[in-house]
Amino acid sequence: MNKLMMNLGKLIALFTIVFSMIACSSDDDSGSANQGDYALSLAIQGSTGDFTYYTVPFEDVMEGTLSAAGQGIEQPGYYEFVSYDNTIYSLGGLDNDNVVAISQNADGSLNQTGDVSFNQQLEDLVEADNNTLVSVSMSSSSDVLTFRKFNTNSVTVAEEKTVQVSNFTDLVGPSYSGMVIRDDHLFLSYYISDPNTFDTDYTDQAEVAVFSYPELEFEKVITDNRVGPIGGFGVNSGLVEDNSGNIYALSHSNPANGFSQSTKPSGILRIDAGETEFNEDYFFDIESASGGNNTAHLKYLGNGKAFAEMNVVDRDSQERWSDGPLQSAVIDFEEQTVDLIQGVPEHRGNGRKLAALQQGDDVYMCVPEEDGIYVYRMDTESLTATKGAKVEATFVAGFFKF
Amino acid sequence: MPKHTHLYQLIFSLVLILLAGTLYGQQANGATVSGKISSVSGNAIEGVNVVLVGENKGVVTGKSGYYTISNLAEGIHTLQISYLGFKTITHKIQLNPNQNLVVDFKLEDAPLEMGAVQLNGKSKVRKINEQAYTVTSVSTKELLNSSQNAQQILDRVPSVRVLQEGGLGSDFTFSLNGFKGNQVKFFLNGIPMDNFGSSFNLNNIPVNSIERIDVYNGVVPIWLGTDALGGAVNIITNQKDEYLDVSYSYGSFNTHQASVNGAYTNDETGFTVRGNLNYNYSDNNYDVLVDVEDELGNLQDSNVEIERFHDQYQSASAQIETGFVDKNFADQLLFGVIASEDDSELQTGATMATVFGAVKRESQSIVPSLKYKKRDLFAEGLDVNVNASYSIIKTKNIDTLTGFRYNWYGEKIATGSQTQGEQGEANLLELEDKQFSNQFNLSYLFDEKHSFSLNQAFQYFTRDEFDQVNTDVNQYFLPKKLSKNIIGLSYKYKFNEKWTTTIFGKAYSLNVETSEETGNNIESTEASKISDNNFGYGIATSYFLTPALQVKASFENTFRLPTAEEFFGNGLTVLPNPNLKPEQGKNFNLGASYNFQINNDHQFDVSGTFLYRDANDLIYNIVTVSGPTTTNGNLSKVKALGAQGSFAYRYKEVFNLSANITYQDITDEADLSYSDYLGYQPNLNKGARIPNTPYLFGSLVAGLNFKDVFAEKSRLNFNYYFNFTEEYFLSSERFGRDGKAIIPRQLSHSLEAVYSLENGKYNISVECRNVTDEELYDNFRLQKPGRAFYVKLRYSL
Repeated sequence: MNKLMMNLGKLIALFTIVFSMIACSSDDDSGSANQGDYALSLAIQGSTGDFTYYTVPFEDVMEGTLSAAGQGIEQPGYYEFVSYDNTIYSLGGLDNDNVVAISQNADGSLNQTGDVSFNQQLEDLVEADNNTLVSVSMSSSSDVLTFRKFNTNSVTVAEEKTVQVSNFTDLVGPSYSGMVIRDDHLFLSYYISDPNTFDTDYTDQAEVAVFSYPELEFEKVITDNRVGPIGGFGVNSGLVEDNSGNIYALSHSNPANGFSQSTKPSGILRIDAGETEFNEDYFFDIESASGGNNTAHLKYLGNGKAFAEMNVVDRDSQERWSDGPLQSAVIDFEEQTVDLIQGVPEHRGNGRKLAALQQGDDVYMCVPEEDGIYVYRMDTESLTATKGAKVEATFVAGFFKF
Repeated sequence: MPKHTHLYQLIFSLVLILLAGTLYGQQANGATVSGKISSVSGNAIEGVNVVLVGENKGVVTGKSGYYTISNLAEGIHTLQISYLGFKTITHKIQLNPNQNLVVDFKLEDAPLEMGAVQLNGKSKVRKINEQAYTVTSVSTKELLNSSQNAQQILDRVPSVRVLQEGGLGSDFTFSLNGFKGNQVKFFLNGIPMDNFGSSFNLNNIPVNSIERIDVYNGVVPIWLGTDALGGAVNIITNQKDEYLDVSYSYGSFNTHQASVNGAYTNDETGFTVRGNLNYNYSDNNYDVLVDVEDELGNLQDSNVEIERFHDQYQSASAQIETGFVDKNFADQLLFGVIASEDDSELQTGATMATVFGAVKRESQSIVPSLKYKKRDLFAEGLDVNVNASYSIIKTKNIDTLTGFRYNWYGEKIATGSQTQGEQGEANLLELEDKQFSNQFNLSYLFDEKHSFSLNQAFQYFTRDEFDQVNTDVNQYFLPKKLSKNIIGLSYKYKFNEKWTTTIFGKAYSLNVETSEETGNNIESTEASKISDNNFGYGIATSYFLTPALQVKASFENTFRLPTAEEFFGNGLTVLPNPNLKPEQGKNFNLGASYNFQINNDHQFDVSGTFLYRDANDLIYNIVTVSGPTTTNGNLSKVKALGAQGSFAYRYKEVFNLSANITYQDITDEADLSYSDYLGYQPNLNKGARIPNTPYLFGSLVAGLNFKDVFAEKSRLNFNYYFNFTEEYFLSSERFGRDGKAIIPRQLSHSLEAVYSLENGKYNISVECRNVTDEELYDNFRLQKPGRAFYVKLRYSL
């Protein structure tokens, strides 16, 4: 019996050791959800290299630290964010692409709706009218592009339209760079990029495909050989529309945004309100206006002005895919001026779609600096800036206000 | 050059053998004593120490219990025969010059002096487990009638998780203490399996071909000669000289698995033939709960039960070896070949939201091999072992259906595209991998206390890629060649019967060759070469506090060499990084195991292990924000603290129960993260648990056995299997609140009944897996089969 007790004693001792090794994990106390009218979509690179996006509401973006720790709507995968009429839309997914509408609940927290799924990547989602958003899927390796009309209230697809790429180019590799829907037309800008190498071997003219709206029938391609292709890799701001219906088409052919060569000067063209051709008399030589610089990122503000992220390195000495270094500026399409905003440090490239928020005369944007990312509030009239909160993220994919 | 390298390696091995021979092989005339050691019941005992007292001479018995000590002077010698758990025998012999004396011994069981514990003659599995390394050896002895495969067996080993994406033949991730992929190396009888192809792997090797599986956590002994970071798994196939085992199982989802295993050996000539034939087939048409979208992509039906319709899997493999055993020129000289093939349909993408209806994958492999093993070559205590193999693997990814996609109802929906397949741009990508690998082991036992061993492992790998559909891309597939050479040296010191210690060092060298694009176009390619050398070291020690209580500790500083892909990317979107360093890891293990019996009827085994891992320079893909290209970098750093415990209880031969639990806290310890947007910045996940890795899991097996039920020499067994995995996060533990992606807690129960006749000659078993029809996932929302039934018939000689 003693032996039995001894053995059992040893057994118990061993088990105690084993289980004391199994440390208790302290469960994080899930505190209350953030509330606030601002929302940032923060991309965070995980321990294994994958990205996850967190859209988090904040009360104040000018002080403290903005973090997704224990907060926000989680979306693992690859996403882009756009916003129309007080609703944020995420485009992307882990495998399939989906569209989710993120809106504000009465208590200031966030709510998500949407149950659509596509086996194609959605490049962009553009507002057609109060009830309709139009998405486009196009890939340089594909022979078709697909438009989808979304009902904004239900976040469902009402109609799908597939267009053969051969309608508007014989070349392989049209890649999306911008889309505007104005009255009864849809304008789509693109550049030719090799699906394997991403080389751009055709840079001698600007091309914009014009479709009828709402039918989405292909009508024509308009071209202009004063500049090279419109837009560049992943930025989506090749075309911007002003309040009176003029569409500005931005060409930069910059290696920083995906071009392997450039054969034409950069500049901005215009499709006048009511017209479906380039205005041959309008040319905004952005390089001479800025002292030799270029831009790939534009956000229309009003009164013929746009917020721009100016690339401050000469195009010929740019590093491919670098997107930077950048300086924030305000450009005037009418006056053809470029004015840098004081107080914003020169910064690295934002890469994707410009994540900036306009509030009256102010533009809020996140700027990556040596010691992290900071919010800057820029006054576009006085051209001054105020540094705000620090942001914990790998990069900022969206900046919104409800 | 490459072809020569193989030859050079073989010659090098042979020269070493010869060299060893000349160094130690001063063969002189003398007397010899030999014989067989067996237990009282007549079973040969392997591993018995036979020494000549006071003469620094001794051997260990081989598999069939034989020993031979030669080169002895005439006169009186004292033989001492000892083996743990048996009474030591001391026996005086008188030898005449050149006499060949034959003395057999029978060892009697011995109740050991310390404590009241009685040890049985140890099974191989227990001996493996008692190595100073942290190793878990699983015998398949009691699973031979089960319809399980290697993967399911491994899933019950502490620290191991096999994360499977679907049914039979689907992709899986093997995780050992959270280390995955190339960080854990697999071996088949000591031959590296990393290039055996998908048609011959854990998924399709049936349990009947396997004798046991050894899982080394962290520290890997040098004789496996590899660059593992997380550990190694060695699958040992049936080594018996003469047997036959035929089995067939049929089960749910039209699953058929057939296996023929056997060996024949001629005792006189030593000629042997051994091998196995395996066939697996399944429709994998199990039901899943999914959301179905309409043609436009809108949700049509939510959470409907759908039968999978494009997930058929088929594999066949044959492994044949022939040669000689127990001859004076070789204990084992075997030429072999493995031929295998598998075809699988792919039902889904990375999540179940993507449905495929036509994508397929095929693979074929041929692996010729040569094994040579000789104990006491040229000199006593000098053992040599050579394993060489050459593998040719062809893999095809077939995504050639254009113009359509599928939904979960199996409906074909037109896409209007002639270029896009289901996975993206249509492709028929063929990969041909060739690998030569050679393992050379030399060990020398100086005397009872000191022994050395030397291992040289060489691998040479080439890959060719070709796309039959998207031919434009072929010019970007640049040739990739990689060779690695690992030399290990270890010294084992046996202080006494209770305490042994091994120290070892490993030298890793890596050579990679490819062509690199130097300009903006493909014409400007240049040969590019990278070499890298590293040194690792470690120690493993084991101490028996009592014959029943063993304590062991091991430490290793190890490297995992980058692959050609990691160095050179894919030529297109993943760019080369010639500065890539090997992954480096320090691991420490401390374990104790205790076994005892009460009244001979109740047998207990308890063990616990504490683990610490500190891995640096882990390779991961740096995603860029402003461009489509990426590169691999040595950025991540991981620390793991873990503990595992296991318990086994057996009551006579009637009842057995075993259980284990693993807890591992694996955290991201990288100080910096890098992106082109921010450059180097503090890592936001520092200190957080790494995502998508189970951290608390365990399993339990219980069995009831009855003898002579309905007939004499019959047995009836009932087994119950239980697996548990705690919920874990797909993404960060730290960030987010709403809609967090989780892999929920998993509980699965399986039941099995086996009836055997004629002492196991005829067997029938029925199994019900996932009895409660639980929704099971290993990966994010990829559902695994629900309740399933299997019947297996087995004939064994």
